[in-house]
Amino acid sequence: MLELQRNVIFGQFVDTGSFIHRMDPRTKLWITFVLILASFLIGTFLGFALILLLLVLVQAASHIPLGYLLRGSQFFLGFLLFILIFQVLFYSGEVSESSYLWRWGILSVSTEGLYTAAILGLRVVFLYYVTTMLMLTTSLVNLTNGLELILGPLQRLRVPVNELVLVFVIAIKFVPIFIEEIERLARAQTTRGVPFDEGGAVTRARRIGRLLVPIFISGFARADLLTTAMNTRSYRGGRYRTKLRQMHATPGDWLALGLVIVWVLVAWRLPAVLSGGGIV
Amino acid sequence: MTPAKAPPIIELRNFRYTYLEGTPRASEAIRGVSFEIHRGERVAMIGPTQSGKSTVVDSFAHLLRLKEGQVFYEGEDVAAPGYDRKALRREVGIVFQQPDSQLIEDVVGADVAFGPTAAGLSAGETRRRVEESLNSLGLPYPEFRLRYVHALSGGQRRRVAIAGVIAMHTRVLVLDEPTAGLDPRGRRELLGLLKRLADDRDLTLVVCSASLGDASLLCDRFIVLDEGRVVMDGPVRDILRQDRLVDLDITLPEPVTGARELRKVFPDLPTELLTEEELEAELLKRLDPA
Repeated sequence: MLELQRNVIFGQFVDTGSFIHRMDPRTKLWITFVLILASFLIGTFLGFALILLLLVLVQAASHIPLGYLLRGSQFFLGFLLFILIFQVLFYSGEVSESSYLWRWGILSVSTEGLYTAAILGLRVVFLYYVTTMLMLTTSLVNLTNGLELILGPLQRLRVPVNELVLVFVIAIKFVPIFIEEIERLARAQTTRGVPFDEGGAVTRARRIGRLLVPIFISGFARADLLTTAMNTRSYRGGRYRTKLRQMHATPGDWLALGLVIVWVLVAWRLPAVLSGGGIV
Repeated sequence: MTPAKAPPIIELRNFRYTYLEGTPRASEAIRGVSFEIHRGERVAMIGPTQSGKSTVVDSFAHLLRLKEGQVFYEGEDVAAPGYDRKALRREVGIVFQQPDSQLIEDVVGADVAFGPTAAGLSAGETRRRVEESLNSLGLPYPEFRLRYVHALSGGQRRRVAIAGVIAMHTRVLVLDEPTAGLDPRGRRELLGLLKRLADDRDLTLVVCSASLGDASLLCDRFIVLDEGRVVMDGPVRDILRQDRLVDLDITLPEPVTGARELRKVFPDLPTELLTEEELEAELLKRLDPA
C-alpha cells in the first residue's frame, strides 16, 4: 500500500559497489563541497548544461538506476515546482515594461521572472542531486569518518567537531527511519478503519497529519534508546576513538577531484568568455 | 449435503511478493504460496523469522501492493480494480506484533471506540461494543475505559489493541505473535481469552507464531512457512509427527521435544503430543504394559 520508501530516497544508502562507492569518503566530501560552491557561482544556462554533462557521467558511474532516483525524488521535485510557480508570479525584481507576458494585479509573468525562477530551480535541483548522490553512495560510517577527518583541524580551536558531525549524520540518517515509521503507523491505522490509500489529495494529507504525534513520540523514544545504547558502550567521541580502517586516497581519487574542479571552472567561466568577457 | 460448496473465506493462489519491487533495495519475501482457509478454521502460520508469515497475513487485508489474481476473499479478487478495500478491512482484523503502533487514542475507551466510530456506528452502539470488547478481553469496562493507554503494562496494551480490532466485529481475526514478550501467566490468560473469543463469536482465527507450543493450544491446523514457501500444511498432530520440523528454526512444544528425546529409550513413542498429560499417559502405557 503505502511503500513510501519508494518515493523518498533522501538519506538512503544503496551499495552497488561502483567506483564512486569505493572512493575515499573525504574525496567525495570535497567534490560535494566544490559542486555546492559551483551551484552558487554558476548562473547561466550554458554553465548548467555543462554541469549536467558531469552529472550524467556521475550517474552512469554510480550504477544507481536512474528510474529509482527519479521516482524517489518526485515529492521533492513536485514541492520545488510549487515554490517556483510562486517565485514567478510574485517576482519582485526590476522588469522592463516590454517583457511582461501576463499581468493581473500584483501577479505577473515576465521573462525576467521566468529566467530567475529557472536558474533558481536548476540550482536547487543540482544541490539536491549532489547531496543525495553523496548519501546514496556513502555509508553512515564512512560519512562520519570522512567528515571528522576533514574538520579535524578545527578541534584545535576547541570546536566540538566529533559531536557536531555525529549530530549531523544521525539527523540525516533518521530520515529513512522516520519514513519507515510513518509507513508502519499508516499500515496499523488502516487496519483500524482509516485507509491511507483511498480518497483525494486533501483527505490523504489530513490523514498524514494524524500520524504526527505518534511519530514525534517514537522519535523521542528512539533518540532516548540511542543515547542509552551509546552510554552503555561508554561512547566517547573524537580523540578517544581509533579507527579500524585508515583511509587512503588513491590516484583515482585525486584524478576525480581534479576533474571536477576543472569542469566546474570551465562551466563557470566559459559562458563569460564566450560573451566577450575575460577569463576572470 | 450442501448444494454448492461455499468459497473459502481466504485463498492465496501462487502468491508472490517482493518488497520495494523494481528498486535496488528490493527483497523477495514470498515465493509462490497457495492455500485455502475456510470459515471457522483456526490456522497457525508457523515459521522462523524472515519466513514471510507477516507478509502473508498482511495480504489478507490488502496492506501490500498486491497484484491481481493472487489473493481472494470469499472468492473475490481483493486486488481487482474497484474492490471495496474498506469493507474488506472491516471483515479482516489484524492485530500487529507491536500493539503500540496500533493504538491511536490516548485513553483506552476512546481507542477501542476508534474503529466503530470510523465505521459510522451510532454512539450507543459504539459504547456497547467498547464495553463488550473490553470485558471479553478481561479488562473490566468501568475500571479501564478512562485509563491512559501509555500507563498500562505491555500485556494490557496488547489486549486493548485486540479489543480495538474485535470491536469492529470482524469475521476473521489475525494475530501476529500474540504472546511475544508476555510472562507465562499472561500468556496462559491471553490464550484462554482468545480461545473463548473465537468460540463465542465463531471467528476464523489466524495466528502467526515462531513457537509451536502456543499455536498448538489455539489452532487445529498448521501452515509451516520457510523462506517464503509453504513447507508443510495440515492438522496439528500430523505436522508434529514430521521429523523435518526439527530442522526449521522454530520452538517446538515442550512435550514434543521431550518425546523426541525419550525416543532413544522408546523408539515407538509418538511425537504428536500437545500436553504433558498426553506424554505422561503414553509413557505409562510403555512402562507398565500390564
